Amino acid sequence: MKTVKVLVWIAVATVGAVALSTVALHRGEPINATWFVLAAACFYVVAYRVYSAFIAAKLLALDDTRATPAERHDDGRDFVPTNKWVLFGHHFAAIAGPGPLVGPTLAAQFGYLPGTLWLIVGAAFAGCVQDFVILFCSIRRDGKTLGEMARDEISKRGGIIAQLAVLAIMIILLGVVALVIVNALKSSPWATFTLAATIPIALLLGVYLRFFRPGRVLEASVIGVTLVMFAVVAGQWVADSPSWARVFTLSGVTLAFCLIAYGFAASALPVWLLLAPRDYLSAFIKAGAIFSLATGILLVRPQVLMPPLTRFVDGNGPVFAGKIFPFCFITIACGAISGFHSLISSGTTPKMIQREGHARFIGYGAMLLESFVGVMAMVAACAMSPGVYFAINSPSSIVGATPEAAAQTISSWGYPLTAATMTGLAHSVGEQTLLNRAGGAPSLAVGMAQIFSSTLGGERLLSIWYHFAIMFEALFILTVLDAGTRVGRFMVQELGGRVWKPLGRMNWMPAILLSSALIVSMWGYFLYQGVVDPLGGINSLWPLFGISNQLLAAVALAVATTVLLKMGRVKWIWVTLLPMIWLVIITMTGSYQKIFSANSRIGFLSYANALAAQIAAGKIPAAKIVETQHVIFNQRLDAGVTAVLAVMILVLVVEAVAQWYRILTASRKPALQETPYVATQWAEAD
Amino acid sequence: MRQLWITLRLAAHTGWQGLRQWSGDAAYETYVRCAMRNGNAGLLTREQFYVEQLNRKYSRPNRCC
Repeated sequence: MKTVKVLVWIAVATVGAVALSTVALHRGEPINATWFVLAAACFYVVAYRVYSAFIAAKLLALDDTRATPAERHDDGRDFVPTNKWVLFGHHFAAIAGPGPLVGPTLAAQFGYLPGTLWLIVGAAFAGCVQDFVILFCSIRRDGKTLGEMARDEISKRGGIIAQLAVLAIMIILLGVVALVIVNALKSSPWATFTLAATIPIALLLGVYLRFFRPGRVLEASVIGVTLVMFAVVAGQWVADSPSWARVFTLSGVTLAFCLIAYGFAASALPVWLLLAPRDYLSAFIKAGAIFSLATGILLVRPQVLMPPLTRFVDGNGPVFAGKIFPFCFITIACGAISGFHSLISSGTTPKMIQREGHARFIGYGAMLLESFVGVMAMVAACAMSPGVYFAINSPSSIVGATPEAAAQTISSWGYPLTAATMTGLAHSVGEQTLLNRAGGAPSLAVGMAQIFSSTLGGERLLSIWYHFAIMFEALFILTVLDAGTRVGRFMVQELGGRVWKPLGRMNWMPAILLSSALIVSMWGYFLYQGVVDPLGGINSLWPLFGISNQLLAAVALAVATTVLLKMGRVKWIWVTLLPMIWLVIITMTGSYQKIFSANSRIGFLSYANALAAQIAAGKIPAAKIVETQHVIFNQRLDAGVTAVLAVMILVLVVEAVAQWYRILTASRKPALQETPYVATQWAEAD
Repeated sequence: MRQLWITLRLAAHTGWQGLRQWSGDAAYETYVRCAMRNGNAGLLTREQFYVEQLNRKYSRPNRCC
């Protein structure tokens, strides 16, 4: 039996190695997407079987005889022992956001290869390790948060950095994901109507769940999902009606203000009315769409038309500027490693886990699945012709605003494209134009729609599938936007309450309104600057988001490394230390280049200086001077924010290294902050 | 055949219960069971529990990027 098992694992590893080599070494003709699925799936299975088992046994020594917080504090509210499959679903739904969809789509400008390799390898050796080890640390500390663990294990200053990093990432994240929605919805009455319709639907569900059938989430979700699907179809009628189409055809700036107002409402209104029911809708549609995309890719097995490496590896990409190192890693972000996950791994999940042994499946396994979602997004983006991909994702300042100009520019790069192709594609998905929609969402939606329509409905349903995909992505993002704004409000109240006590009162309406206004104005500012940025906004903001996200991951891995040192696992410390060093290198390099690069499309300061020089030389028309000065201010602000993030990383590294030195040179064994061992009272089987 | 039917019913029941737990549909029943086990007085009503649970859930990071 053992021999058979070994042979099976050797076969899986061989298939994975062949598939991965094919993906990496294939040149010339388009490659079939099946190779991507095979390479990723086999690599994940082997990584889970070998590497996660090694971490569980050697590094963490998971102990199933030890009672978890869910058993010791079982209160039916926060601490709820939960079946491991159900908790896996909970954890995955919480960690899977728009990042693994948008990041790989943007990184596809380098070609499919760099992004795919980092998604697969980065997840197995960095992202999954972070999620798994932090989950373990939190379980052993009664479900403490990352900030609390950073304070207890590294230093008080480490705890403050963790808190500030969370707030920084929250603000930048909300600004950038809102920008993705704006770029997907602008000038699109169909998509705007569909997304707008989800708000009254959510309010209806909120009232239903609060007053008529409290807590009956499943039946409410069935009603809600049906209504949302109807809204997707009804969006076409709206787009076809000249008077209604005018109402829902909104500019980027108008949409930005609509989203800011929505974020404020979601934060200030009772949670049961808008936020929670929308989250229920999103959860079901998210699960359905991801499952459908995976099934669609397996059934259609599309050809990947994007080359393995494009000419933009030189750093002059139209979607965002910068070379593969470090910008591919920063752009991919959540699909390979996300600092934000450590908040979930030290939030709800450790309070619900039944056994320590389940941490491997939930912490390591859920991140592998998230990475797989990222690979599918990469396939969907790369399955369209490169010319179409660049036309959708490039700003008009680079490729021009008309189909003819875009076709000419993009063809001159060596990616053939005709104006008729773009016009025809826009028409077939029910849009007036698909040009200049930086942000990844529309190109991913086109890719998904092409895969879905090849499975069901053909060309006839392409427009419905496109708007379903846009609605799915926008719903996904709105969930992050409203839940994030509310959590940000709590953080502002908590921090502000130390300065002015009444602001910290969670039930005092003026404090709620003021703190909600503060948090939405912070991310709203980033959103606005992205919308009016001549380079498309994503070029500046997505790397900023990536840097802040990886900063949080560096905090999490520093905490993990410290805990492991205290546990005496010096021999195996490279497991968390190497990913941490890698993250520090890419975030510091990325930060330095974003601030100081002489290339004005990369460096914030050089772009600001170039614009200032143009004003001084009288090259900017008088009517545009104020606008240009705003852009200059925004670039300098972004440089300042990046510098603050970089300083936070450096302070954290110094704090962590000082703590490690103390641990390694101490004559006594360092005190572990774990809760004392209590034997489980539950039977062995679960 | 009968054995197959029983297995299928069991699988469907397990799947349904898993879905209810995942979605939060069964949260109140879990709470009541736990309260009974621990002998807690002052049990919340379904409506009170629903609102209290949402307020708790959405005051900390629970959705990622």
